[in-house]
Amino acid sequence: MIELNSVTKKFGTVTAVDNMTCRIEKGEYFALLGPNGAGKTTVVRMLLDFIKPTSGSILIDGTPVSNPEARRRVGYLAEDHRIPSHLSGLEYLRRHASLNGLAGKDARMEVNRLLDVVSMKGREKEKSAGYSKGMKQRIGLGAALLGQPKLLILDEPVTGLDPIGIRDVRKILERLRDNGVTVLLNSHLLSEVEKTCQTLAIMNNGKILVKDSIRSILDADGTLEDVFIKYLS
Amino acid sequence: MNRFLKITGYTIRDQMRHKSIYVLLGLSIFFVLMIRGCYSGQYVVNGKQLDNITVAWHVSKIVFQIISSGMFLIVILLSMKIFSRDHEDGSLVLFLSRPVLRREYLLGRIAGTWVLCLVFMFILHATIFMTVWVKTGATIPGYLTASLVCSINLLFIAVLVCFLSLYLPDFISAVFSVGILLVGYISDGGHQILTSDILRTAVPEAASAPPALWRILYPKVYMVQVYADSIIGQSRFNNMGPLHPILNVSFFIFLITALMLVVFNKKEV
Repeated sequence: MIELNSVTKKFGTVTAVDNMTCRIEKGEYFALLGPNGAGKTTVVRMLLDFIKPTSGSILIDGTPVSNPEARRRVGYLAEDHRIPSHLSGLEYLRRHASLNGLAGKDARMEVNRLLDVVSMKGREKEKSAGYSKGMKQRIGLGAALLGQPKLLILDEPVTGLDPIGIRDVRKILERLRDNGVTVLLNSHLLSEVEKTCQTLAIMNNGKILVKDSIRSILDADGTLEDVFIKYLS
Repeated sequence: MNRFLKITGYTIRDQMRHKSIYVLLGLSIFFVLMIRGCYSGQYVVNGKQLDNITVAWHVSKIVFQIISSGMFLIVILLSMKIFSRDHEDGSLVLFLSRPVLRREYLLGRIAGTWVLCLVFMFILHATIFMTVWVKTGATIPGYLTASLVCSINLLFIAVLVCFLSLYLPDFISAVFSVGILLVGYISDGGHQILTSDILRTAVPEAASAPPALWRILYPKVYMVQVYADSIIGQSRFNNMGPLHPILNVSFFIFLITALMLVVFNKKEV
């Protein structure tokens, strides 16, 4: 599903991603862990073609990320997700739907479905300037789930959510995983990663230090926190 | 093409949400309606009373240029914040996380801003046209055509400001753009004065010297306004250099847009 082939990204003299080669298979629930500044968000931004790699290639389902069609079945939720304050949740989702090629009745039905999924029915017509952080996060998740994506890229998806919201998101993601959607998750919430993910990679200084199934890693090293500390100390 | 049109539509809606647009539109229409009084007055020049139609014609020409110049400022204000605002409020991620080409986003944003300003300017010019018609019974041929001709200047300014805003802070890009326009106005305006009939008679040698190359190649925003004026007045248009100002400004629009597409394609979001 996702192939990173010898990808390097430099910002001036700083190497954010260092000759990274990684493959994420279809249907895999993949967590990318690492300390702040490890290069995780840089990898995500390169996947979405927000920034170009200095060298190497990145493919999503065999399509280079520089081709916008690679993003047609990709859903993305940013860590610092923002909604233009003049748009309501409904208008925001409708724009996403329209830009993704959905139109008319299909778009309306899909948006209504997603408002239900993320529990924002009844608040969708309010301007997003009045939304709490958790509500914005829910709408953002709804936008990411739009069009039944084959790949979901989530950067700290439960930020700002209360425990019930976190549980709801986990259930949504588990359902997606069971339906064969590929998920790439950046999260600092190790407990959530442990509960939901199948494969884990730990990154630091632009390199992947370890990549394996979560079961193997935990069998060898105990808790995820122990693993994290072991590889990053 | 479809996504380009969608983004153009979104841009028009997004720009119209700014209260300043409605304030400016209201003030402009108020100003335009206030000068109706000019068309009803009794004017005497050299002991001879001028007819209403003559007065209306002259006033309308002046107001035409005032409206156009005012619109330059409005398009600068709207264009300078396009990219920075999109970056801050999440619109850039909204568009570019979907299967949208960067050029569709860029051109859609510029086109939407231009269309909004074009319509705004046309409404104001049309108000003058209708006011003259109602007050005097006469129409000013070419007035609305001249308005559409001036819209190319709005596009040039929008493209220029957007391009500069990729490198400079918003306000500085606006100031730079105003500076570029002012240089053109002073240069080309000065040339128009030098080649005017009065000065030709007084100082023949001043008008005989051809303009410097840079003045010929410089963006001819002012000369487009002069051309529009000649359409209204149905008078001869004295061009500056071999290239028509419409072609000159079109060339610059094309050049700056091409540069902007190259730069924005590589820009990190």
